[in-house]
Amino acid sequence: MRAEDARTQLESVIDLCRAVSEGALDPFAVDADYVLSVIRRHYPEIRSLEEFCIDASAIMELSSVLEKQNEWIHHQSTTLYKDPFMLSQQLMKMDIGAIAEALLRSWHPIVELEQVSASTLAASLGYWGGLLPIDERWSEPEIMEVETGTATRREALELGLLLEEGFAEALETMWRGLRDRAGEDERIGYWDWVGAETYEETVQRAFMTCFLVGYGYANMEADRFGERIELIPLEEQRPASGAAKVSLPIMVDYEEWKRWREG
Amino acid sequence: MARRLKRAERAYARKARQAVHILFFKHHRLPGVRGWELRQELGPEWIEVLEVLDSQLKPLDLQVTRVFDDPDLYAEPTRTQLADARYYITLRGRVDQKTAKTIGWRIDDIAGLAVAVAYLISKQGRAPRGDVEKALAEKLPGWRVRMNLNRYIEEGYLGEAEGGILHLDWRSRAEIDQKQLVDLVLGFGRRSKG
Repeated sequence: MRAEDARTQLESVIDLCRAVSEGALDPFAVDADYVLSVIRRHYPEIRSLEEFCIDASAIMELSSVLEKQNEWIHHQSTTLYKDPFMLSQQLMKMDIGAIAEALLRSWHPIVELEQVSASTLAASLGYWGGLLPIDERWSEPEIMEVETGTATRREALELGLLLEEGFAEALETMWRGLRDRAGEDERIGYWDWVGAETYEETVQRAFMTCFLVGYGYANMEADRFGERIELIPLEEQRPASGAAKVSLPIMVDYEEWKRWREG
Repeated sequence: MARRLKRAERAYARKARQAVHILFFKHHRLPGVRGWELRQELGPEWIEVLEVLDSQLKPLDLQVTRVFDDPDLYAEPTRTQLADARYYITLRGRVDQKTAKTIGWRIDDIAGLAVAVAYLISKQGRAPRGDVEKALAEKLPGWRVRMNLNRYIEEGYLGEAEGGILHLDWRSRAEIDQKQLVDLVLGFGRRSKG
């Protein structure tokens, strides 16, 4: 038999077994002995890794069919088992009212309540108080047309469009700062580190901190619930080891910053 | 002795009230509370507290319902299985058609749900969506079949897995007495004749 035929035969038994897993076929509609004989016949002719993978998939799918057969026998032995044919014949015989009545007699809807508690209400009022009026929140930014011109490097620095030092230097400065602030404990709380007088500066520090951790200047540790996050500066920069990395998203939004500022 | 009994009674009543707060109000995205959450709040005798609560709810036609993740019934569940189970407050008795209508269910919707659930039970709880649609289309127009199936999925009665395979979801397990439904369907002709 040609390799092509062998592959087609294996793929068709895989499809047959998958139909059982998907519930489209009765598990006993598959002749396990036949599927096994197909796998056995083609096994000695395997020449490539791809053929080996197809063979392995066929075995895996066959084992899931056997598992389904086992489940089916188990299900038939329970009190819940009723002949599917009989059931569908009965449903065909019944009118809609009778079917609905059958469900209503075996239906016990869940009872649940939703209620606002006093503390949620108080927190919501606090939020409402701090919320800016909608015209302010949705106000369109005022855009003015201005003539193009030139600016000196000093002016660009003052506008914050350029960093006073290169990125690498800024990162090194930040690293030194982190080591100083961590002190003898050799660790510092995330917000104690990134939090600054203004929100803009806080975001900038959080942005740079991402690189401190990403580039191996510091480690980050979080407790199980992600509530306490700490930074641990390293004595020497540790290049990426190639091991799998974990992303740790931290929200540095205005509300969070305000909460931190208010202690 | 009498004083000790009174004290125990009061403690159970207090814990039953606490259980009401936990079970009636929605705490998660889905209703229901896990056994271990109840144990955490009510203490080691949480199962006994639930029994007390269940008997107190009886006159109100409500009950404490327990649902295991594994749809296979446990004849005698262990304490670990009980702690993993999900607990709900459900109606103890039956819903009449008038009430069903007032909570937004047309008779067609209820019958469609019964057919879909009974069909899935007969198929060991899983079947391709196309097959369920075909069973429903015997008595419902095509557009209503699709709309109803989507509604059953949205409300948690049915789940749809990859490849369009439907299965019985958490709400069917919590709210529908599957054995009773199947028995009622199979006993339909016999009962009417008798």
